Amino acid sequence: MKEVLEGSHAVSEAVRLARVQVMSSYPITPQTHIMEALSEYCADRRMNARFICVESEHSAMAAVIGASSTGVRTFTATSSHGLALMHELLHWASAARLPIVMAEVNRALGPGWNIWMDQTDSLSQRDTGWIQLYCADAQEALDTTLQAFRLAEMVNLPVMVVLDAFFLSHTYEPVDVPEQEDADRFLPSFSPRFQIDTQNPCAISQMAPPAYYMEMRHGIQMAMEQVADRFEKTEAEFQAIFGRKYGRAEAVQCEDAEIIMVIVGTAAGTCRQVIADLRAQGEKAGLLRLKMFRPFPTDLIRDISGKAEKIAVIDRNCSFGAGGIFAQEIRAALCNHDRHPHVFSYIAGLGGRDITTEILEEIYRMTRAAAAPENESVWVGLRN
Amino acid sequence: MTKNPFEEIPLLISRSQITTEINMTGEWRFVRPTYDEKTAPCSAACPAGEDIARIEMLASRGMFREAYQTILMENPLPAVCGRVCFHNCERTCNRGGYDQPVGIHQLERFIGDMAIAEGWQEITRQSSHGAKRIAIAGSGPAGLSAAYFLARLGYECDIFEADRAPGGVLRWGIPAYRLPENVLNHEIERITGLGVKIFCNMPVTQAFLNKAKDTYSAVFIACGYGRSVRMGIPGEAMANDGLKLLHDIRNGKAPNLEGTAAVIGGGNTALDVARSLIRLGVKPVLVYRRRRSDMPAFGHEVETALKEGVKLKELLAPLRMKANMGDILLTVQKMKPVDLKDGTRPRVIPDSDKTETMKVQQVFTAIGADANENWYLPPIKEELSFPPPTSKTKEKLLMMSHCTLIRQYLPTVFGGDLTNPVKSVSDAVASGKQAAMALDTFFRKGWDAIEERLAECRVGSGPSLSMEIYLGENRKNRNPYQVSFEDINPDYFEPADRIKPVALSPAESILSFAETEQTFSEHCALEEAGRCFNCGICNDCDNCLIFCPEIAVLRRHETDADNSPLASRRINFDYCKGCGICVVECPRNAISLEEEK
Repeated sequence: MKEVLEGSHAVSEAVRLARVQVMSSYPITPQTHIMEALSEYCADRRMNARFICVESEHSAMAAVIGASSTGVRTFTATSSHGLALMHELLHWASAARLPIVMAEVNRALGPGWNIWMDQTDSLSQRDTGWIQLYCADAQEALDTTLQAFRLAEMVNLPVMVVLDAFFLSHTYEPVDVPEQEDADRFLPSFSPRFQIDTQNPCAISQMAPPAYYMEMRHGIQMAMEQVADRFEKTEAEFQAIFGRKYGRAEAVQCEDAEIIMVIVGTAAGTCRQVIADLRAQGEKAGLLRLKMFRPFPTDLIRDISGKAEKIAVIDRNCSFGAGGIFAQEIRAALCNHDRHPHVFSYIAGLGGRDITTEILEEIYRMTRAAAAPENESVWVGLRN
Repeated sequence: MTKNPFEEIPLLISRSQITTEINMTGEWRFVRPTYDEKTAPCSAACPAGEDIARIEMLASRGMFREAYQTILMENPLPAVCGRVCFHNCERTCNRGGYDQPVGIHQLERFIGDMAIAEGWQEITRQSSHGAKRIAIAGSGPAGLSAAYFLARLGYECDIFEADRAPGGVLRWGIPAYRLPENVLNHEIERITGLGVKIFCNMPVTQAFLNKAKDTYSAVFIACGYGRSVRMGIPGEAMANDGLKLLHDIRNGKAPNLEGTAAVIGGGNTALDVARSLIRLGVKPVLVYRRRRSDMPAFGHEVETALKEGVKLKELLAPLRMKANMGDILLTVQKMKPVDLKDGTRPRVIPDSDKTETMKVQQVFTAIGADANENWYLPPIKEELSFPPPTSKTKEKLLMMSHCTLIRQYLPTVFGGDLTNPVKSVSDAVASGKQAAMALDTFFRKGWDAIEERLAECRVGSGPSLSMEIYLGENRKNRNPYQVSFEDINPDYFEPADRIKPVALSPAESILSFAETEQTFSEHCALEEAGRCFNCGICNDCDNCLIFCPEIAVLRRHETDADNSPLASRRINFDYCKGCGICVVECPRNAISLEEEK
């Protein structure tokens, strides 16, 4: 049934439909609405779940790690500083191979204190062993969250569903909310491959000496390598029931594009308009919206950018001293490929600054005008 | 997806089903948690040293009989003290730092009344040793207390009372609206039930004491203040003695009075006289030479009296009294305080020659009292006035907080109001207890052992003493450290208003001598006892067990013979790594950390 939902509540609905059993979270803007709705569902018994109140995000993640170890479906959500505080336990969750799902609302880190959109928080957690999926609208946020449980439980790795602060988390859109029956069909109850059980005591996560540790880490990598395939199968099953599909990355008019603009998150909507306008002017422009960041879709990048001359990557983040993070990843994906278009890196829209059609058009023109990138990253839209 | 969907996903994690007990995390420990029960501030503030934290813990579980036994360990008069004590305990209650102090006196009254209603007795008496007999002069709270504790220690006690019924100030001095007679009778019966004999109409005389050596091994003198102090002003013969009024009322001889009565004084007796007069239909006016804040009467008594309609005139000293057409003209001198210093009672001096004359129908004095006989008072030096030294052994005198012990041909202890720092019923109980411990130690271990032995029995930093500690029972392990509010973890307590007992309104109160407050219902008692933090003592909350990350807190389920929750817990030091979480999460500071040696 279609409902007008806030992006945050689209995630909450998915968690409800997933019949999550244990949740824990600490409030932080712009994540709070997600857990607010869920805490109400716990309180009014719309969900048969335990909500564990904690004093910090570190404890929230610790709580869901503990719960997940017992073989129940778990969920948490956070943002920015909250995610940073979880860092230690993010490694723990993936190495313990726990299929935890977390909504992460992209927000800038302080100081200067800032609650608005910025991707640096989630990208800083790149190497923690979490699958990362970036959404562009409320429907996708709902669908991806539901899929995330299926995916996580298949590969025994945690999944981070990432949303733009405010542009997505606090914006209302019509959303098709699945019936519980259909959701159950897509996502059966969780059958864990291992769980701690008081009837059958065991020790977990204990010391792994050099003779074992490396194999455990190799196991994570191999599981990651299976994610692309599992994700596509998950999407196919989802599509069979609900008729919607997103892909690890979305290509718009890339087949014949000379310049492909790469963007992540809600700004893709603006870019879509810019591409249409440029096409109307006879420009061969294309758009590549990345959804999956970990594991990185190297194969897709190589396929899609195959014919293009130039790739313009727009990053709402910065790895200081290196530049835009998505741009670096794309360069790395292409460097050993036989076709290697020029990768232009642009940094825009940090800390909630809007990425307007004018900014995207300027990026396109700059890319078109240059033969090759002159700088590591170009900052666009800076005030004089 | 028809095959096992997990087939190709490797899943190698650390997991084992062999025991991890080999990993003795106790080796990491450099600080060690120990169950270390401490002293609640209320119990140290209680002159009788009652184990209040434990009493309320038991009461909150409905274990009222055990709570009663715990009170009786330290105080033979719970139903009396629950009513008339000035409850210093509540002033120091840590819950006062959170919302309001626990209603300790109301709970004691509830437990005392329940014991009376249920006929609980069960005080054990140690076997007599050598059948030593002790003579006790005065059956007020100090004499009763001394007899009770001495009897429990195995002594034969005879109490000699000058009046026609036992109880002293409890029977004659405290009005019935504060202490009904039947309550007192029941509590005295509990003491005589131990074999204590009370001889009424038998004042102790010097002649008696001279012969007492033949029968008795020691004597305890607690005859109290019986003789009112006079004002020494012209016309004083027209004034009535306040103490006599109280005595007459309790004796069923209340005078017929009307009009206005001036009550001279600012102590608890003056308050009792004024509140009794208002019940007799008189309008009492308290005339006090200092300010309200300087009154020796307990603050809550003053407040209640004023609510009942007693008027208070401060800074007025009586000058003279004159008869005038059946009225009395009382002329008073206006006074003013001088040398005002914080925390001390200032001196007052006449405020030039300002005087005031009040027309009243009666004047009652309650400005203090003296001992009836000078020898009731302890000698202040080692030059003994009485009894005259007849033995060749050198007399010795030991002044303690609540009594004075004299070693002479007949060891004598002076106690009660005449020696106590605060003239209260519970201080009288403390006096009797201290005397009993001192005499018992003297007989068993000699004079020189007394001070040290009593010091070992202090509750907290003293001066209150514990008979439970003296007897070497559980409480002897209690750390004297007094738990402060800062030591409490308030996260584990919900705010809850103190429960008010059902009470008569002031307008209803003054219609009769009926008790103004009712005893708690069982439901209220359970709830009010549940408000107690149980400072410093384990109440089985199991926070230590729940929070211990090493599962090193072990609990045995069988209850120990002494019923102490602590006895059923221990820490497995093979695994306790000394993290201290148990100490932080203990809501009531019953666990301490100490460095490993």
